[in-house]
This record gives sequence, structure tokens and C-alpha cells, in this order.
Amino acid sequence: MRRWPAQLSVQLAALFALVSVVLFGAIGIYLYQSLQQEIVWRDDQALKGRIERIRAIMDDGGDIDALGRRPQLYENMLGNRDNVLWVLNEQGRAIIEVNVQQLPIPHVPQQAATRLLDWSGSSPARLAVQTVELGAQRYTLIAGKLLAEREQMLNAYALRVGFAVLIGAVLAFALGWLVSYRGLQPVRQLAAQAASIDVQHLDQRLAHFGQHHELKTLTEALNQMLVRLENGFLQLSRFSEDLAHEMRTPLNNLMGQTSLALQQERSPDDYQNLLISNQEEYERLARMVDNMLFLARAEQANASIRPQRIALHDLVGQLCEYFEGMAEERQITLINEASHPLWAEPDLLRRALANLLANALRYGDAGKPIVIASRQAGERIEVSVVNEGPMIAPEKIGFVFERFYRCDPSRNQAGDSGGLGLAIVRSIMQLHRGSARVSSNAQQTCFTLVFPDRQDG
Amino acid sequence: MRILVVEDEIKAADYLRKGLGEAGFVVDIALNGFDGQHLIQEHEFDLVILDVMLPGLDGWQLLQILRRKSATPVLFLTARDAVEDRVKGLELGADDYLIKPFSYAELLARVRTLLRRGPPRETEFFEVADLQLDLLKRRVTRQGERISLTNKEFALLHLLISREGEVLSRTLIASRVWNMNFDSDTNVVDVAIRRLRAKIDDPYPVKLIHTLRGMGYCLEVQA
Repeated sequence: MRRWPAQLSVQLAALFALVSVVLFGAIGIYLYQSLQQEIVWRDDQALKGRIERIRAIMDDGGDIDALGRRPQLYENMLGNRDNVLWVLNEQGRAIIEVNVQQLPIPHVPQQAATRLLDWSGSSPARLAVQTVELGAQRYTLIAGKLLAEREQMLNAYALRVGFAVLIGAVLAFALGWLVSYRGLQPVRQLAAQAASIDVQHLDQRLAHFGQHHELKTLTEALNQMLVRLENGFLQLSRFSEDLAHEMRTPLNNLMGQTSLALQQERSPDDYQNLLISNQEEYERLARMVDNMLFLARAEQANASIRPQRIALHDLVGQLCEYFEGMAEERQITLINEASHPLWAEPDLLRRALANLLANALRYGDAGKPIVIASRQAGERIEVSVVNEGPMIAPEKIGFVFERFYRCDPSRNQAGDSGGLGLAIVRSIMQLHRGSARVSSNAQQTCFTLVFPDRQDG
Repeated sequence: MRILVVEDEIKAADYLRKGLGEAGFVVDIALNGFDGQHLIQEHEFDLVILDVMLPGLDGWQLLQILRRKSATPVLFLTARDAVEDRVKGLELGADDYLIKPFSYAELLARVRTLLRRGPPRETEFFEVADLQLDLLKRRVTRQGERISLTNKEFALLHLLISREGEVLSRTLIASRVWNMNFDSDTNVVDVAIRRLRAKIDDPYPVKLIHTLRGMGYCLEVQA
């Protein structure tokens, strides 16, 4: 198959040309046929008139032979070489014959009224025939017109129409190309602008071409795509940076302590302490890698979970038992008010709630209770963890579920999850097609997990 | 007890040889799949530790070769813990798997469990020094005095005493006692151990629960 022209302007011009061929062609055919019909009608009228006149002469004169002796009269009357005229007697012999081209006498049926018919002999002709009775004699009048000239003329006309169609198509192509090329100018500008945007210039936006609605829509759509790309890209690069930074801290500890220990001979105790300290840092790194892998997997498009019906009160009860010791050390009471059964994957739900509880224990005021509660909100079930404690600043609260985000950047405890705990909570909720949200005021901070009422599958 | 370790990472192979040797096992090392295949075919082992990614033949292939010959328990080591990998390993007849990085204490615990062969003995009565735990009566005594424990404290002590002498990692303790199957980033286990100690160790001269810094906890009579 031939390749379709790649340029849009050429393609449009070709379509213009095609449309004009169809249009001009239809008009040409219509004009040609009208002309042809008109000519045929006029010729037929002329032939009929001729028959009528001959007949009138015969009716008046009565003397056929006398007519026959004056052939010049008809020749003059007939005027040119295309016309023929026969008056035949009953025996089929020509009494009068005007026949410049020497055509043979046609055989025609007897006919009282004038009849028109096509004669296809050596030279095709149109004939008008009438049979008249004059006295006891019967004559056949035949008037004819050769078609050669008419055909020639019509053919010439058709040729000219065809030529005009062709010229029109070429012109339409040329003009169409010019118009499309000019019309597509903004698209080329848009393309040039888009081409100049690369990874280093994701903040650039496409300028608006105000006059065209279609281009405006396209530009807006492209700009929105750029915003999303830029955000995603920024997030990704910030994330990589954060990750590298987070790994630096334990690596720095490991390298510093180890190289210090190697400076001189140490006691076995010192070496042991060093190794133990290193072990803690390794564990921290391993935990970070585990959490990163968990997040990466949870965000894969094909990640799926197997939810089951969970008795929430019992599950929260287990968690409370787990954190009981930690809570008591800070004189915090854990209050389990969760009751609604819900659909979730138990290990993931446990992990999400454990992260929230660990968070609440870390930041909650000593001596104040932490309440885990649930409620039905329309179709959904909400599980909340509320602690009393310092408020999360409004400008920071939007970021708490981000990876590696810490409200207090200097807080970097050896035991914490490296700022991934709440990001994991959010991922777990996304896996459950739910969501996680947070609210905070001067008295208390409330994290809420929102579960869809029932998940199938 | 003879253990075969097939591991291409030289440092890892080295410390496994050293560690398992110190724990009293005879250890053979193969650094690639072909050597591993040879050793498997020529000798009998009580346990095989296989790395999944190996030059030559990989761990899966070695496992298939081994399974044609014997039902020797196999512990897989892998850095890839995708669910499909686990399923594949278990389908091919692996007995257990450990995801890298793992602590040596964890590895040793798994090795001992696999070598115990069959389900662990269901003991109902434990005694370490003057500490006694009766599972059926849910009764704990030391020097004959009854000590009252909460449910979780009892479960924790039961775990420690049933694995007397083994180092149990925090992860393992969290998983067995509280069903927390993920690496917790809190000191919950330490707090729980501290509270348990306050009841069964602090009032008595001989301490039984020992902390191995960087590794975990162990219950035993130390000389």
C-alpha cells in the first residue's frame, strides 16, 4: 500500500482536490447531459418540422413528379451535407432523394403518424418517418440527420469539461495546501515550544494561542499534563534525594565509628561495643530498605490484596496489648472503642494501625489517653486514632503522609522508621481503595483510616 | 550434623562456615552451582542452605536435583522476596526461606528448627534452674513462689523457655507473641522483656534472661 502523505497540510490539500474533483465532475456531468438533451430535442423538432413541410407541399401541389424534378429546391432548403431526405413510393423507390453522402435507402416500417427512430447504418443517423396516402398512391417520407457532427461537438464539450475539472483539482490542491500550511502555523509553533521542553525545563508551559478554540483546548490539556509530569518528576527526584540523605546518616555513623576504632589498638570491650553499634545501624538500614520495598510494591499498578472480614475490636485489642508496655511507661492509657467489623487484609491493617499507634505514643502527651474508635459514615467505615498532644502546624499537616517527611527535621531517632511510617499507612489504605487523613488542633491530633464498606475479591 | 552451604558471595559463605562451625556443625561450602551439584550427588547432608542466585546452576535447579535423591531439609536464602519466588520455592520443596539481609541469630534459629525434624516436642512443663513453667495450669514459679503474669508475659516467657539457650531476635518475638509480622520500629519488645524481668529475674540473684546486644534475647543459666 502506498504511504499516506505524512504532512497534514499535504493531506488536507489532497482532500480539497478530491472534494473539488467530485464537485466539479458532478456539475460537468449535469451540464453535459442538459446540453445533450437540449440538442436532441431541437434536432427531433427540426426533423418533424421538415416532414410536416414536405407533406404540406405534397398536399398542396399534388404533383409528386413535378416536385421530384426540382431537387435543387430541397437541396437549398436542406442546406448542408448532414441532412437527408427521401420520398419513397409504394415500391420503395425514391421519387425524391436529397442524399449528398450517398447513403443507402433505409428500410422503415409503414407509419401513419410521424415517428422518430435511430438508424445505425454505416453512418448513424436520426430519422423521422411518416407514411402518407395521396390519391391512390402511398408514399413514405423520411427525413434524417447524420449524428457524426453532433457527436463530435458533444465529445469536444465533454473534453473541455474534463479539462476544467482537472485544472480545478490542481488549483484546489495548491490553494488547499497554502491555506492549510498557513492555518497550521500555530500547530508548528506549538510543536517548536513543546520540543524545547526537556527534563531540565519541566517548569515551562506552552503559550496560549487565543484565537483558536481547538488549539486552546489542546494547549490547556498539554499544560495540565506538564503540571502532572513536573509534580511526579519532582516527587521522584526529591524522593531519591531524601533516600540518599537518609542512608547517609547511618552510613556516616558506621564509617566514623569504624575508622575511629581502627586508629589504634582497642580493648575487646570497645570492639564489641563498636560491632553492636554497627549492628544497630545495619538494622536501621535493613528496615529502611524493607519499608522502601513495601512502598514500591504497594504502588505497583497490579498490586492486589486479599481482604477478609475482620473483627476490629479484637484486632485493636491485640495491638493495645502489644503497645501496653510502652504506653504504661508514659502513663498513657490505650482505649479501645473500635467495634465495626470491616473488610481488610489483617496483616496490612495491623501494620497501618501499629504505625499510627507508635506515632501517637511518640508524639502524644504523657499521662493522656489515646483512643482508637470506629464509626460508620455512610457507605464507609472510619477507624480513628486520637491522641492529646502538640498541634501539627497547619502548613505542615498536608505533608505528614509524604515519605521521609518529619514535622521536626532535627528529630532523627535511631528507632524510628526513617519517616516512612505514615507513607506506609497511606499506601496500605490505597491498596484497600480507601484513604487516610489527619486533623489536628491545639488539644488533639486525629488520624483517620477510611475503608470502603465492602470490597469484593 | 553436616550442613552444605551453596553461596557465591564469598564473605557470606565465610561467615556462614565460621558461624555454623562455632555452633557445632560440620560445614561444606560450594561457591557455585556446579560444585554444589557435585557435593549433593557425592555426599549425604543433614541440611542444605541454598542461595537462589548462583553462577552455573541456580538454587531452584539444585533443589530439583536434590529432591530426586533425598528429602534433606532445604533452607533458601534470597534477596528477592517477591511472593512468586516464595511460592515457587515452596512448590519445589524448599522447607524454609530467609530474606537477605537477615541476622545470624535468625539463621541459626531456623537451622535448628529444621534439624529438629518433625514437629517440635509439645512439652507442657519447663524447668530452667529454679524457674518452672506449667503450660496446662498456666503457672509460673520461681524458688517455689508463684509469680503472676499477664497473658502476653506468659506467652513471652513460654517462647523464651521453650527455646532455652537460643538467641531470639526482636522480630521473631514480635511475630510469635503478638502476631506482628513486620519489622516494628518501636522498642515494644524491649519494654515487654524489661517488665517480664522485673517479675521473674530482678527479685532473684540468678538472672536467666540475657540481652545479646544487637541480636536479641536468650533464656539460659549462664556460668
